[in-house]
Amino acid sequence: MNHENATASSRAGGTADEPVAEVRDLRVEVDGSTIVDGVSLKAVPGRVTALVGASGSGKTTTGLALLGEYPSGARVTGDVRLAADGLVGYIPQHPAAVLNPARRISALLTDIARAQVGHLPRGRRRSAIRGRVLQALADAQLPAAEVLLRRYPHQLSGGQQQRVVLAQALLLGAPVIVADEPTTGQDRLTKSRVVDQLAAVAARGIAVILLSHDLDVVRALADDVVVMRQGRVVESGPAARLWAAPQHAWTQELLVERPGFTEPETAVGTPGRPVLRIRGLAAHHRDGARGTTTVLRTPELDVAPGECLAVVGRSGSGKTTLARCIAGLHRDHDGEVLLDDVALPRSLRNRSRTQLAAVQYVFQDARAAFDEHRPVLHQVARTAIRLRGTDADAARQEALTTLARLGLPADLSGRSAGRLSGGELQRAALARALLAHPRVLVCDEITSGLDTISRRGILDILTTLLHDRDDLSLILITHDLDTAALAHRIAVLDAGEVVEQGPAQRLLTEPTHPFTASLVVPTARLKAGTSG
Amino acid sequence: MTALRSFVARRLLLGVVQTVAVVLLVFTLTEALPGDAAVALAGDDPDPARIAAIREAMHLDRPAWERLGDWAMGLLHGDLGTSLASGRPVSQYIADGFGPTLLLAALTVAVLVPVGFGLGVLAARHEGRLVDRLISSVTLAVYAVPEFALGVLLVTVFALQLGWLPPTAVGFGTDLLGHPAALMLPVLVLLSRPVCSLARLMRAGMIDALASPYVSQARRYGVTGARIRYAHALPNALAPATQQLARTIDWLLSGVIVVEALYVIPGLGTVLLNAVAERDVPVVQGLAVVFGVLTVALNLGADLVAHRLAPRAGVAA
Repeated sequence: MNHENATASSRAGGTADEPVAEVRDLRVEVDGSTIVDGVSLKAVPGRVTALVGASGSGKTTTGLALLGEYPSGARVTGDVRLAADGLVGYIPQHPAAVLNPARRISALLTDIARAQVGHLPRGRRRSAIRGRVLQALADAQLPAAEVLLRRYPHQLSGGQQQRVVLAQALLLGAPVIVADEPTTGQDRLTKSRVVDQLAAVAARGIAVILLSHDLDVVRALADDVVVMRQGRVVESGPAARLWAAPQHAWTQELLVERPGFTEPETAVGTPGRPVLRIRGLAAHHRDGARGTTTVLRTPELDVAPGECLAVVGRSGSGKTTLARCIAGLHRDHDGEVLLDDVALPRSLRNRSRTQLAAVQYVFQDARAAFDEHRPVLHQVARTAIRLRGTDADAARQEALTTLARLGLPADLSGRSAGRLSGGELQRAALARALLAHPRVLVCDEITSGLDTISRRGILDILTTLLHDRDDLSLILITHDLDTAALAHRIAVLDAGEVVEQGPAQRLLTEPTHPFTASLVVPTARLKAGTSG
Repeated sequence: MTALRSFVARRLLLGVVQTVAVVLLVFTLTEALPGDAAVALAGDDPDPARIAAIREAMHLDRPAWERLGDWAMGLLHGDLGTSLASGRPVSQYIADGFGPTLLLAALTVAVLVPVGFGLGVLAARHEGRLVDRLISSVTLAVYAVPEFALGVLLVTVFALQLGWLPPTAVGFGTDLLGHPAALMLPVLVLLSRPVCSLARLMRAGMIDALASPYVSQARRYGVTGARIRYAHALPNALAPATQQLARTIDWLLSGVIVVEALYVIPGLGTVLLNAVAERDVPVVQGLAVVFGVLTVALNLGADLVAHRLAPRAGVAA
């Protein structure tokens, strides 16, 4: 394989750079289709090797091969060689899944340590086990480990869960750790914490295999990069060389910086008559029998026709609640949401068809928003029939053209939802919302689960939409400032309050509120890793 | 763990409320007997003197709330009243019947737990293979046989044709422990359906747990097979089975009328059957209260165990 030379040349060091795990010419076939085709990679102590590629490119299959795990019924050829003890740690995308819900977190940690103290006399084993477990938790930067050990997984925060899973790998003493999409769907601050953590792991002399489609994180961490597409390695080599001079067209496309689409056309948004106005909104959540908590206060927020407003904030800041209030999905609020000066009923159920069509919502999880067994085309066309009274044939025709315009040709849109990728489904979800001919389109984190290429595709679609239809207003709910940069205006939410709002350009370059500044800074810090 | 403590406190409080509700319900149902309980009790050919005697014995001439107060006060002191048929205290009846019932229940549970859980785990380990298919089909088949049919069948084969075991416990009185042979058939019948339902629940739970990501993680990190099964997978599979076990114990302690009648065992079921036949209302009332309290207590215990096994799920309380 040609890329092996590239990897070898990067290993200028001495014997310390002997790989502790190596995959050679791996091929994995399931039911006749090839998932991974001729992939080779090396895990070198103290270095981070990133497997980059769109979802479905075979990253996870390759990563799991290091653990000796394959999809059921897979035909595997090629070599996976591990260091003598054959231990590999694994940090999955959702750490909660690998933590046993019925056991305290000490259970598995203790069992891992028990296997290591067999040589000690019986009486000293217990304290030796405890010592090792506490040390591993400390190494994973978990303070107050004594208390934590007695907790159940659901009593830990997401970050703590991830560090417990890391502690398991450290306790195991694995020379290789595979981290599968450790930052997907996380906000900026969490991301930069995960980056620090994985850097610390590599600094301990452990080889880290990072599977990710998050280029910011890969830039900040990776020493070596393997770019995958459709199961094949298209390019690999030291990170610095790859960023500086990508050889393969696909890598270049992956690395292209997105220009914002705000600057030239700021003339949009006729002042004076906003399409959507929010007045004195205060949304509540019920806390069991105890009473209610106010999770969102928005005294005033306007959206002009043709305007794109980004609502930015960390997870839990109330941005989704705001979107749900606008869409009529969250009834428990005071104040008013006015569409063209008419207050919208609080509940979806009380809104007329015209009102329903006027405000459309696209959800983060496109897969959950479709019936997986019916053709996507039918589900998209249904909006026009249901909300605009179009007849079935016309609706089908319109759905076909809209889907094709958004990049889903007829052969794809005729498939059932279960057979489309996440990015394709998100396009279909947008098409479905557009078939209602909405005045306001609410997009709730619609790109955060997607890989770079799919995300870019979706953002391109949104740009085009704003450009072509000046009567359509967009509300982008996002934690990602890069996505927010595409908007005309940004409103920043923190703990349920709008702390700052204004033109996107100004907010991103000269934030006035300290919280906005704190959101902008980690972005810059992650970017700083790029040059290296 | 204040969350656990408050859960236990709330659940205990609910248990008390449920018990009071049971007592009230039993009293109301007795009140709701058509006309006057004394008339109903006097039989087909009512004799005014007998009605009056019953009425006086039951204090039916006093207002309902007063009688409820007396009865409830008596219950608080463990006094369940006296039988109409014999004049003996109701608590005596229950104490007599409780011995054999408890013995049968204890023996059944002692076999049920290892066999039911064991079969379930065994089937799950060999999912889809011969052992699993054998266990799954046999348990389903046995579960489909009603206990009276199985009871009669066992008596015919083992007692009448083969002559290995006594057909009933007639003549042994309450000293059943001295005659273990007489207990074999009733315990077998009592076991038949609970073993099947428990094994099938266990199998389903274990298959889910063994396929879970957290079990894969334990396996990946070198934890041994038996430890994975019993320390990591089993606790997750236990929660539904525990609830089923509590219902089974409840049934064993208060509802095995058919089996007791079939094998002539003088347990609580027999006491209840006789009391109903003799329209001995205080005895029926006393039994209803005892059964109700048992049900509340067992479900409380099961909820606490389930809460420990599935700490995420809040049990409705």
